[in-house]
Amino acid sequence: MQQFQKRMHNTLITIAGLALLAFSAFVFASPEGKPSFAPEVPHPTNGTTECVEPEDDMKKNHMNYLLHQRDETMHEGIRTKQYSLKECINCHVPKDSTARFGDNQHFCSSCHNFAAVSIDCFQCHMDRPMNKEASGSKALGKNPHGAQMSKPVSTKIASTSADATSTQGSKQ
Amino acid sequence: MSCKDVNVSRRSFVGQTATAAAALTVAPGVFLHTVAEAKPADQAVTSDVRWGMLIDTAKCASGCTACVSACNTENGIASHNRPRTDQQWIRKVTLRDKQTRHEISLPMMCQHCESPPCVDVCPTGASFKRDDGIVLVDRHICIGCRYCMMACPYKARSFAHETVDNTVDYVPRGKGTVESCTMCVHRVDEGGTPACVEACSEAEHGAMIFGDIKNPNSEISKQLVEHGGKQIRADLGLNTGVRYRGI
Repeated sequence: MQQFQKRMHNTLITIAGLALLAFSAFVFASPEGKPSFAPEVPHPTNGTTECVEPEDDMKKNHMNYLLHQRDETMHEGIRTKQYSLKECINCHVPKDSTARFGDNQHFCSSCHNFAAVSIDCFQCHMDRPMNKEASGSKALGKNPHGAQMSKPVSTKIASTSADATSTQGSKQ
Repeated sequence: MSCKDVNVSRRSFVGQTATAAAALTVAPGVFLHTVAEAKPADQAVTSDVRWGMLIDTAKCASGCTACVSACNTENGIASHNRPRTDQQWIRKVTLRDKQTRHEISLPMMCQHCESPPCVDVCPTGASFKRDDGIVLVDRHICIGCRYCMMACPYKARSFAHETVDNTVDYVPRGKGTVESCTMCVHRVDEGGTPACVEACSEAEHGAMIFGDIKNPNSEISKQLVEHGGKQIRADLGLNTGVRYRGI
């Protein structure tokens, strides 16, 4: 009787093991050999095939690269593009994309939604490439610091109805 | 080394310096200026430059708000039609002498002080001064306490009370943080000029000059040497980077 129980026990373990194997084969092995329940992260649509670092490295360390770059840009004015958030977006989010951060189709949120990692980058930063033509920055770098830009200057003193020390401008 | 040797080397040094100075002079009255170029993107800003502005109030037209609208467009600042809480990086101020009734108009914004009170009071280090003299808010660190707004004698800072949905990618702005004039740092780093200065020039007033006040050959330095430039509230000893003429 004891021997029978032991045999049953072994059989159960074997069946459980096989079932687990079959399940993992079903779950983890998609045709591309990727975990099938992991999100499909959109790849760049501009023909770029390689990221600024190997994909595995980026998966693991992108937050560190971004944090480091953030401080360098903000405090030291270093504006290299390699680890810039703006360049991530310019490359990974198609120009005509309607996906916004939070949607599963958006490059960043596709994975962040899955991993349940909240980020607040896009409360301030743009989650899509900017339409440069619509930008107000029309003359970036076209007016060098030293150049005297003044056209023939005419001093216009328009009359004003301000009757006391007053503030005008956008707060009117 | 003998005394004579020293004299000879000094003489040759003086001679070389004179030659170098002559080389910079192309013709009488025409000088080769150092061409102001954008710093390479991978280099940090240095304290070899200090960005500043000189505003000539005699040229600033009282009805004109070209600088204000250019700033708003450039930095994606939009009004919510709530004037008391709308963000404002630059504003036009009219000053009227009660006795003489003489009026002057001037743009007022962050004065980019050498010793900024906003930086002194910031509890997190979000308010800081770059090595090139531009005073900024690091919104990544800002907790929105608004001490800096209280400390600023120029009322230059604004608080983002509402969600900002019209940001531009080079000026990320968001709710719950303090912001102010950045002297268009994104343009300056690429060798450009602030949007307000450009707009003033385009409006044919030319009341604003931007440049490096540490470089004696820059237009702004020459104007400052010639005409001087007053600080607003000079009594505070903040050594502002924005100077005014005619106040």
